[in-house]
Amino acid sequence: MSDRTIIDIHVLQTVPPSNVNRDDTGSPKTAMYGGVKRARVSSQAWKRATRIAFGHTLDSSTLGVRTRRVVELLGEEILRQSPQPEPEAHALAEATLTAAGIKIKPSRKKGEPNESGYLLFLSRRQVHNLAGAAVTAQVQPDLPAALKSAGVKALADQEHSVDVALFGRMVADSTDLNVDAAAQVAHALSVHGVENEFDYFTAVDDHKSASDDEDAGAGMIGTVEFNSSTLYRYATVDVNRLQDNLGDAGAARRAVEAFVDAFVTSMPTGKQNTFGNRTLPDAVLIQVWDGQSVSYVGAFEEAVEIGASGGRLARAAELLAGYAKGVADAYSLRPVASFVVGVGERMGVLDAVGQRVSLAQATARVGELVANRLETESGAVPETGSA
Amino acid sequence: MTTLAIRLAAPLQSWGSSSRFARRTTDSAPTKSGVLGLLAAAQGRRRTDSLEDLVGLRFGVRIDQPGRLTRDFQTARSLDGRDSMPLTYRFYLSDAVFLAILEGQDSFLDSIVEALRRPVFPLYLGRRSCPPAGPLKTDLAVGTIEETLETAPWAAATWYQKRTPETIVRLETVVDCAASEPSSMSIRDQPVSFDPERRAHTWRSVLRGSVDVVNSKRGVADVPAHVTDQHEPMKAW
Repeated sequence: MSDRTIIDIHVLQTVPPSNVNRDDTGSPKTAMYGGVKRARVSSQAWKRATRIAFGHTLDSSTLGVRTRRVVELLGEEILRQSPQPEPEAHALAEATLTAAGIKIKPSRKKGEPNESGYLLFLSRRQVHNLAGAAVTAQVQPDLPAALKSAGVKALADQEHSVDVALFGRMVADSTDLNVDAAAQVAHALSVHGVENEFDYFTAVDDHKSASDDEDAGAGMIGTVEFNSSTLYRYATVDVNRLQDNLGDAGAARRAVEAFVDAFVTSMPTGKQNTFGNRTLPDAVLIQVWDGQSVSYVGAFEEAVEIGASGGRLARAAELLAGYAKGVADAYSLRPVASFVVGVGERMGVLDAVGQRVSLAQATARVGELVANRLETESGAVPETGSA
Repeated sequence: MTTLAIRLAAPLQSWGSSSRFARRTTDSAPTKSGVLGLLAAAQGRRRTDSLEDLVGLRFGVRIDQPGRLTRDFQTARSLDGRDSMPLTYRFYLSDAVFLAILEGQDSFLDSIVEALRRPVFPLYLGRRSCPPAGPLKTDLAVGTIEETLETAPWAAATWYQKRTPETIVRLETVVDCAASEPSSMSIRDQPVSFDPERRAHTWRSVLRGSVDVVNSKRGVADVPAHVTDQHEPMKAW
């Protein structure tokens, strides 16, 4: 039985003048909170940035149980859903996997069911759905066509298991492809009030400016809207749901480590060439809970005043630490573990809330905790993957 | 009869009862299906499980802080960036606080409070990107919904209460009523099933009304009553 495990990630990140996420009028997104207009980066923008960062840090083929014995794996599930002679189930499993575009070859051991030509990662949900599609298609006269129309190719999708398990998927016409997200990413809000500003720009026509008898007018004029802010970002991962979605504790561990790293270090790319605004967070607070996730956005409901001594960032860190303690006291909550990643002495006030470590250490420790709290089917503790 | 009052507050929340396709609208108050979905998630019910006992609870909402309608423009592309999905406009209520009240058996409401303290699925206010700001404050009281609506203290944010000049504020309410009630309205937010294959909601009758609640923070404001810190030239209209 796995322990209930929830990971909360709170980030304080300062972004210089930039327009990281804009709406259809080109203005940086905003929202009112505490009666004050705040800068906002939408949840979907940062989720996409995190997904793209996965592509660089996470090799999906290192996830979970890799196996070539997919015919056997799928055959077992087919037998479970629709009892029939074993050879028939295996034949159906083979047909399904072939229709999904997976090459099947004879096993190296004599008498064993056929295998796929290469190592595959299939989550428990994928096996379940593929078996369901196979069983339904079995009664149709034209099996290959029935399997194709059941969309088995999408069901066996190798590419994005981690993305789908974390962020979910909704397909209106095939609701069995639906996956409920294990991660929740809130809209990032600035801890203080903002006013959007305009940068008036001109674009010089080189040819025109090089020639003497042309006028001195610009080739083009326009404005770019921007603001700068200290953002409070919040995300939470329900590790038990993640394990259900991926079907494997080891995969869940690696997915959590990848998510923490990617969420903290990624940034949406809106207008990044114009503003060069890529920064890393000044403070990250990672808490592991066994009850419920808690957002600390309430710490900033009263907007941090501009001109506060020590700057907004120091004040924001103070407020975050104070609120974390306040919530823990008021609701008698104690996190299983609490880690703080901070840049410099300014973030020292957060040391009261968690153990100060580097991001790599925090990710590794969180991964270890996740591994210890989840169990594989054999009761063994999942190992970390090789780099 | 026992009531359970839940304070729903977050920077952004969204409660759609008639939102479709690329325009995801929100009502001005939490919907019954949205709140029952929140409770079902806390209890760990799957989408395919029955909702009968939850639907049997009577539901009412008091708008303690109406908030502001915010429009979010959302684009979506495939991961490689080549295919573009339809543009969507999603509406949220920002800076709003509501008191959602459920009326039913006290043992059942007790179990709901426990579930909210240790939810099986993550909680959110209408949309997954809207986690509540801090643990949900709940309060059990003996009485009917109407009584709780009148007696529950004003749950709006402190800054909002301080900024409101009146000592008695009028808060709007939306409460379940019988269909035969003469001035009732209909909202299509009574959940029948959350099953993705046969998602369905039916109509419920509601009465829109108001209650007068004391503003206890008025008078401890740092700003004198005759000064409003927001210049609102159009206020007369």
